Amino acid sequence: MPRLPHPRYLALALFCVAGAVFILSPLAIVILTSFSATAYNVFPPQEYSLRWYETLAAQEAFYGAAVRSVVLATATTAIALAIGTLAAYALVKYALRGRDLVKGFLLAPIVLPSIVLGVALFIFFVRIGTINSDLSLLVTHVLVATPFVVAIASAAFANFDWSTEEAAMDLGAGPVETFLRVVVPQVRAGVVMAGVFAWILSFDQVETTLFLVRPGQTTLPIEMFLYLQKWQDPTIAALSSILIVAAALLVVGLSVAGRGRTPADILRQQREGRR
Amino acid sequence: MACGQGRAGLARVAAPWLLLLPAFLLMTYAFVLPIGSFLEYGFYRFERGRLVQDFTFETYRRFLLDPYYHAVILDTVKVAAIVTTIALLVGYPLAYGLWRLRSPSLQRWFGLIIFSPVLVSVVVRSYGWTVLLADQGAVNWTLMRLGLIGEPLELVYNLTGVVISLSHVFLPFVVFPIYAAMTRLDPSLREAAMDLGAGWWTTFRRVTLPLTLPGIVAAAQIAFTLALGALVTPALLGGGRVLVLPLQVYRATSEINWPFAAVGGLALLLMALVAVVLSNRLLRYAEP
Repeated sequence: MPRLPHPRYLALALFCVAGAVFILSPLAIVILTSFSATAYNVFPPQEYSLRWYETLAAQEAFYGAAVRSVVLATATTAIALAIGTLAAYALVKYALRGRDLVKGFLLAPIVLPSIVLGVALFIFFVRIGTINSDLSLLVTHVLVATPFVVAIASAAFANFDWSTEEAAMDLGAGPVETFLRVVVPQVRAGVVMAGVFAWILSFDQVETTLFLVRPGQTTLPIEMFLYLQKWQDPTIAALSSILIVAAALLVVGLSVAGRGRTPADILRQQREGRR
Repeated sequence: MACGQGRAGLARVAAPWLLLLPAFLLMTYAFVLPIGSFLEYGFYRFERGRLVQDFTFETYRRFLLDPYYHAVILDTVKVAAIVTTIALLVGYPLAYGLWRLRSPSLQRWFGLIIFSPVLVSVVVRSYGWTVLLADQGAVNWTLMRLGLIGEPLELVYNLTGVVISLSHVFLPFVVFPIYAAMTRLDPSLREAAMDLGAGWWTTFRRVTLPLTLPGIVAAAQIAFTLALGALVTPALLGGGRVLVLPLQVYRATSEINWPFAAVGGLALLLMALVAVVLSNRLLRYAEP
């Protein structure tokens, strides 16, 4: 027989609903504002229009920045996955002397405030004369993404059954073939997660990238940040709405992919991975 | 290894270092050398708009003795502490709610809602808050409609706006460590406490809270260190009135005052390290 939940649970449920509203409202308001007809912020919008999407379509700086961001994030992901997965494999598989020290060293960039890293890299690249090269930008993003790949991939490898690798080698498969056809498929979920994380991280870099980009050659978040410091019209809202919808599609995708798995399951898997 | 002991043995010793080589090269070129050269600039001077490269403690002396920078450091720590507190106060009940949800699909969706802001750029989220908190924004409109206030509150382009927005930005990083600690909790402990006659509050205070303390400390560490280094949100929502250290470092760098940027950056780094060391200490006490 259904009975009314205890007031305590009702209060908790109410708090959670309020929390969800708090979390989603800055994103929802951006989408609402993007359809407003006025240039100044007023709630609720007095009239609705598509004029900010038209303004956005005419802003060519954003196209270039978006393309540059996507290319940069994709290249960063590929390189960081290669470097980070190899390092994680070595860290988990071999009983290295000073393994904790090595791991701590490789994860150090995570603890550093990003603005410090950004300024340090800027001064360094100016000094060695590579400040205007795209390669410096790529190296910076790879440096930011790799520690996270190492951390996530280590967890995946810790969960790996090493006897299957030995079996493949005993049956005559070479080390590269074994790695690609036996090891990688088994840790695929972890590697995919690391890749998604690296891509988002690179796509969202502001502090580390701010000084490394030339005017007219910026990435999308930087272009938006600089635009917002000058203007506050809803053109940015229109662009943001497109990014939010893209993120929402990703969330739905993740949700479908993770069907039947609760957050607890995912955490449990990770924890077992760490052992 | 069945065959070729000698060569295989050597390969076994060399292999891990070969696999680690790309990571070490990357770290040396893009981390060790830049940080080293960055710290070196702290011992140079910046005078009359020019960089003077001779060894001196002048920049350190100026930074440490100027009351203006004392205020900046205090403000930076204050903002980080308030943000951490608010994020914990909001995040703990959310993590608890997520943990107690009985329907798996509801739990998955709620988890995704909490996590989803991470997928949207910090620039977009901060912009959303400037719109939401504006004088004619949705928050003030709602409060006026409810008759709680007579005229709009100043919520943005000051400390309030920065704190609200930062708490929102770091919320996912707070909820998940706490939630992870809750899933580690043995349910029989709570049942035992209840069976022995403890009320829900006593059970929470004496069992759940102490056992999830490691999660709280880990969450606080993440929120505090991220808040110390935040630049985008104070720049967009501070309205030039919230002069935290990352903003000063940003400005000094654009003005080619690299010695000051280096000293300010080192101060930020030390503050983050102190927070990490302190919370690791606390964590050792908190581990059951």
